[in-house]
Amino acid sequence: MIRTEKLCKSYHCHTRHEVCAVQDINLHVSKNSFVILHGPSGSGKTTLLNILGALDRPTDGKVFMSGKDITSFSDIALSRLRREKIGFIFQDFHLIPRLTSWENVSYPLIPVGISPQKRYERAKTLLERMGLGDRLDHSPEELSGGQRQRVAIARALVNNPEIIIADEPTSNIDEETSEQVLKLLTELKSGGATILVATHDAHFEKIADMVYKMKNGRIE
Amino acid sequence: MNKHLNLFFLATENLLRHRTKTIVVCLCIIAILSPFITAVAISEGIRAQSLVSVKAGADLYLTFDEFGRNAAIPLKYLDEIKKIFGVTKAIPRIIGRAFVQNKLAVIVGINKEDIPESISCISGRMFEHPNEVVVGCELANHFKLNIGDQFSMREQQRKTFTVVGFFSSASSIWGSSMIFMSFRDAGELFGKQDVATDIQIHTLPGHNSEIATDLYDIFQNEPYRLQDKHMVELYFKKGFMLKEGVFSALYLVAFALGIPAILVASGFGLSERKREIGIMKATGWHTLEVLELISFEQLLISLLGAAIAIVLSILWVKGFNGVFIAQFFVSEITMLPKFTLPAKFLPLPCILSFFFAFILTMVGSVYSTWRASTESPVVSMK
Repeated sequence: MIRTEKLCKSYHCHTRHEVCAVQDINLHVSKNSFVILHGPSGSGKTTLLNILGALDRPTDGKVFMSGKDITSFSDIALSRLRREKIGFIFQDFHLIPRLTSWENVSYPLIPVGISPQKRYERAKTLLERMGLGDRLDHSPEELSGGQRQRVAIARALVNNPEIIIADEPTSNIDEETSEQVLKLLTELKSGGATILVATHDAHFEKIADMVYKMKNGRIE
Repeated sequence: MNKHLNLFFLATENLLRHRTKTIVVCLCIIAILSPFITAVAISEGIRAQSLVSVKAGADLYLTFDEFGRNAAIPLKYLDEIKKIFGVTKAIPRIIGRAFVQNKLAVIVGINKEDIPESISCISGRMFEHPNEVVVGCELANHFKLNIGDQFSMREQQRKTFTVVGFFSSASSIWGSSMIFMSFRDAGELFGKQDVATDIQIHTLPGHNSEIATDLYDIFQNEPYRLQDKHMVELYFKKGFMLKEGVFSALYLVAFALGIPAILVASGFGLSERKREIGIMKATGWHTLEVLELISFEQLLISLLGAAIAIVLSILWVKGFNGVFIAQFFVSEITMLPKFTLPAKFLPLPCILSFFFAFILTMVGSVYSTWRASTESPVVSMK
């Protein structure tokens, strides 16, 4: 499903020093598998997930998704890939503050051309599944951290993606909600999705098909 | 449902969500466009009225020529001119300027029988006896004149005039500061008895060139100036463009200050917008879809701003009679004209105003949007 070849990502800091966030990453994620990226802060997990989620381009190396090299994709092709195949759950949620929960969830459906009524129904179904049926019209600032994370998860699922990438999905939420998220991701995997999660949470390792340990931008 | 329709509705919702920004940008657009639309409407109105006056006037205008300028023409030629074949009417006029106390008035002296039929917008009556005058509404209001009041002018203090009528406030701008009197009285006022400032010649169609030849024979070596309708029309346009130019120069200064205001207002909340665009891109929006959304927003805000500016301009002219702005186009009037200001709202300036607003708002937002949407979503979301 996802394969990388000698993946590198480096940044030029204002001090003109080159910082390698990830380097020489060779990784393989099979279809319908649950893969964990484990590692300390600053080990390059987020950078790697951003590249695998088509949110960022590598400095060097290749990423193959369903056999296609996505590093050579145009901006439009990458957007289409994100829309059709990938659902990304961010560590700090990245919800749009002025929108309500259901509007945030249905936002990716707007350019697809789905009518407002259908968008509302789809968002409502997902939010009810997340236990937020009574928070449809609440703005993010009216929600707790756990509730925001669940809205972000609902948004990631709204396009029925084949791949779900989650960056520290339980780091900003309480233990009870963490368990709910874990359960949900397990259900999604059972439904046929491929799950890739960066986390410190040891609970995830129990259900993972594969665990990659990262340190200093490399996979150990 | 169509994707473009979705984006259009989202743009509408976004304008409501960002109310403060919408209001500020709209106000900037209104501040720039409203004086422009009002000025163009007044300018077109006056131009149209002046051309109607010229078209309704004489076919030829005859004066003497001194130092390359119009000069008074002796009345001794009047009978000869009337006898020329093709001339239906020759009307001598005295048009000059005189001070009533400290206010300059346009004096028009014409024989009673030659008064054009179009001059009917008078309250009171037309002059019939010596020293009777009809006064423009602007002057009448300034001096609080009533029918029967008497006044004199600085040029001829001993001569006293009696007000017998007024040009109504609905009359044209030409009547605003005018004093209308008999030809004889005007001659006495300026101390010129046997001359006219010009002779209006009405002719049969197609006879102008033959009449011009006959006039050449009459005047022999006298320097005279003959202008037809078309030339007078050109003078009107030329003189009017000069006034428009003065307004344009002042307007350009205001305009130059207004553009940065719109650009700044359009860029309000840029960092929030950048983050939002990053989220949109991360959730699968294309750059073109983001740009389309922003364009719809600017289109709507421009339409709204331009529409309000047009409505305010109509109100400015029709409700407040072009207060403050009229003086740029009509000389010697107060800030609030006492006559009904002519104005003509044409579709083209209104459409141009909208395009102008659209371009301005687009310039203020499209580049930053494009930058944010072509960057990687990770960078934009930071």
